[in-house]
Amino acid sequence: MSPEIQTAAALVIVALAALWLTLRAVAKRKNPGCGGECACPTQKLKR
Amino acid sequence: MSLPAHIASASASPGTRLPTYALVGNPNCGKSTLFNALTGMKQKVGNYPGVTVEKKVGTTFSQHGQPITVIDLPGAYSLAARSPDEAVTRDVLLGRRADTQQPDRILCIIDATNLERNLYLVHQILDLGRPVIVVLNMMDLAEKAGLNIRAARLEHELGVPVIPCEAVRGKGLVELRVAMSRHDLPLSRHAWEVPAPISAAVAELQASLTRNDLKSPLIARAEALLLLTDQDSIRVAGSTPLSPQTAEILQGWKTKWEGQGTDWAAVLVNSRYDAIGRIAADVVLRAGDQGPTTSDKIDAVVTHPVWGWVTLGAVMTLLFLSIFTFAEYPMNWIDDHMASLGDWVKGAMPPGDLRDLVTDGAIAGVGGVIIFLPQILILFFFIGLLESTGYMARAAFIMDRLMSKVGLNGKSFIPLLSSYACAIPGIMATRTIEEPKDRLVTILVAPLMSCSARLPVYLLMIAALLPGDRVPTWSKVGLMLLMYMLGTVGAFAFAWLFKRTLLKGAPPLMIMELPPYRLPAVRDVAFHMFERAWIFVRRAGTVILGISIILWFLSAYPKAPDTATPTEQIAQSFAGRAGHLIEPAIRPLGFDWQIGIGLITSFAAREVFVSTMSVVFNAGSDDADTAPLRQALLAAHWPDGRRLFTPLVCLTLMVFYVFAMQCVSTVVVVRRETNSWRWPLFQIGYMTGTAWVVCFLVFQVGRALGY
Repeated sequence: MSPEIQTAAALVIVALAALWLTLRAVAKRKNPGCGGECACPTQKLKR
Repeated sequence: MSLPAHIASASASPGTRLPTYALVGNPNCGKSTLFNALTGMKQKVGNYPGVTVEKKVGTTFSQHGQPITVIDLPGAYSLAARSPDEAVTRDVLLGRRADTQQPDRILCIIDATNLERNLYLVHQILDLGRPVIVVLNMMDLAEKAGLNIRAARLEHELGVPVIPCEAVRGKGLVELRVAMSRHDLPLSRHAWEVPAPISAAVAELQASLTRNDLKSPLIARAEALLLLTDQDSIRVAGSTPLSPQTAEILQGWKTKWEGQGTDWAAVLVNSRYDAIGRIAADVVLRAGDQGPTTSDKIDAVVTHPVWGWVTLGAVMTLLFLSIFTFAEYPMNWIDDHMASLGDWVKGAMPPGDLRDLVTDGAIAGVGGVIIFLPQILILFFFIGLLESTGYMARAAFIMDRLMSKVGLNGKSFIPLLSSYACAIPGIMATRTIEEPKDRLVTILVAPLMSCSARLPVYLLMIAALLPGDRVPTWSKVGLMLLMYMLGTVGAFAFAWLFKRTLLKGAPPLMIMELPPYRLPAVRDVAFHMFERAWIFVRRAGTVILGISIILWFLSAYPKAPDTATPTEQIAQSFAGRAGHLIEPAIRPLGFDWQIGIGLITSFAAREVFVSTMSVVFNAGSDDADTAPLRQALLAAHWPDGRRLFTPLVCLTLMVFYVFAMQCVSTVVVVRRETNSWRWPLFQIGYMTGTAWVVCFLVFQVGRALGY
């Protein structure tokens, strides 16, 4: 894999990660809480 | 254990819809243990809309294998609610919540060692006229306490099935499932004569509730009795309000009674207690004076004014000693495998950004956090063990002496204790505190208790501060205990300050029940431990992975010329520039811009500091081997060649994380709980300000002393 392709792939992954974290933050504003990451009561936490 | 006759004769016909059961009982009656035993892993946890009270719904199976829905309602001593939790239980049972279907049937759990007290709630529930099954839990403990509970006699008195049970050992569950499978559960024969002067009020309110609030006659009667006891003042979101007609009738009767000068509400409550007393006297046979029970003998030591503290200290020391001792081997195993994985990727891929992202971003970031999984498992194993045996309530009792001295409400203990795991459930648990000022004080200081997210930071810093195998484990344990104590003392000190300045109030009172000691429920402890482990792993694989990827980008871009060293690369990157921006503010604390990057990113969550350090100190590395983070930190230097992570800097960093408000989720929850941005902003200000001042003192004094 050439360095140019690696750079493009890495930047796509970074963009996807940034998008996912942003969407998650927006969803949290609508439904604040830890998102089930600390075992506290959440809207939907399937065990 | 033989089946009671009226249960043994009953059977459900397969294929018919089975009813929904509500599980109700006093706190500490073994309700959660029974719920877990009945439903196993088939549970859903959520919130009642608009109110931060946990809603647990699970599925169990009838004797014919058909699914039965079980709703685990919050523990309550009475339907006359005194907290939002109890209000939800009352509202679900009375059909006041539009978001939750009124349960068809009710499972009432009774602690057999406290029959009379537990019967008060059962007595109120029988008023509802719904089919009820009474579960007499902890029969073994009652027997040990010299109590002979005549279940058949109680069944005769109440007219509903009574199942003796030991939920911890799974005894009585078969009989319970058989009873739950029945289609023809008998309604209670419980006849309770309401005092004559009150019966007219009950009848008028019942009629109005039936007509105007569309309640069934029996539910309406039960609700009328509740309304007349004047303890129905707590209303929570989602609770249907009374119709104006019923509210007017209620007010009319209360005004009339006030004019008569007789406390008819108290008469109503007392008449219920009299009825319960008669039942209890008939059902419970006491085998004379048994002398002190085993629990009493243990309590003489563990709740002793001096030995109680010694015991608490010993338990905490044992906990942290185990964390360091038992976790060492699995941690080394994870460390080695993460390093091998990184090396393998470096060998398998040609040099380039994608390879760097995988090794220096994803593997270094996630691996840096996941290495602490064994210690998290041990921590929650011990917490589960202490809860399951009943010691946690004793710890609360011991701590209350100290808490009342700083003006904290006794009910603050559970929220503060929960905050050792995570401040968010701790802050949510403050809803049980009735006094608003006490609740706010608890919310403000809860994040000072050292949560599990701080653990990776402490462990990393202790490893850097006390490196090598020759350092005795006791030193590490002592340092860890010191951090936990510092957070606790800080929380108490600020509570004392707030109660005397911003939030003055009357000294609080605490009434607390000490459950008998029991053997730990291994299943529950394991369930709790693996639940926490899964949450930790999931977080590492999602949020921390995402942040690590972004961090890699911020530390790898913009690119420096090819001739630049790794240090020069990160220094001119986006992350490096942010770190340099805050360096003047943190330099007096002994921190450089690289640590500054960690302080900025860990505002998302404290443990992100560890993954940030992994990314920052591995970024741009062209080494064939990925050095463990601890070694990388020890090798880090200031530009003038001085060591960056000196023991004093490591200690100062730990102190910073004890006090600083580094958790955006907690900020959001505090905003929601206080319904204002004022308090979370105040909290960020006072906590981070304290962190800076204390760190400044620690670092400058330490340096002046030659450390």
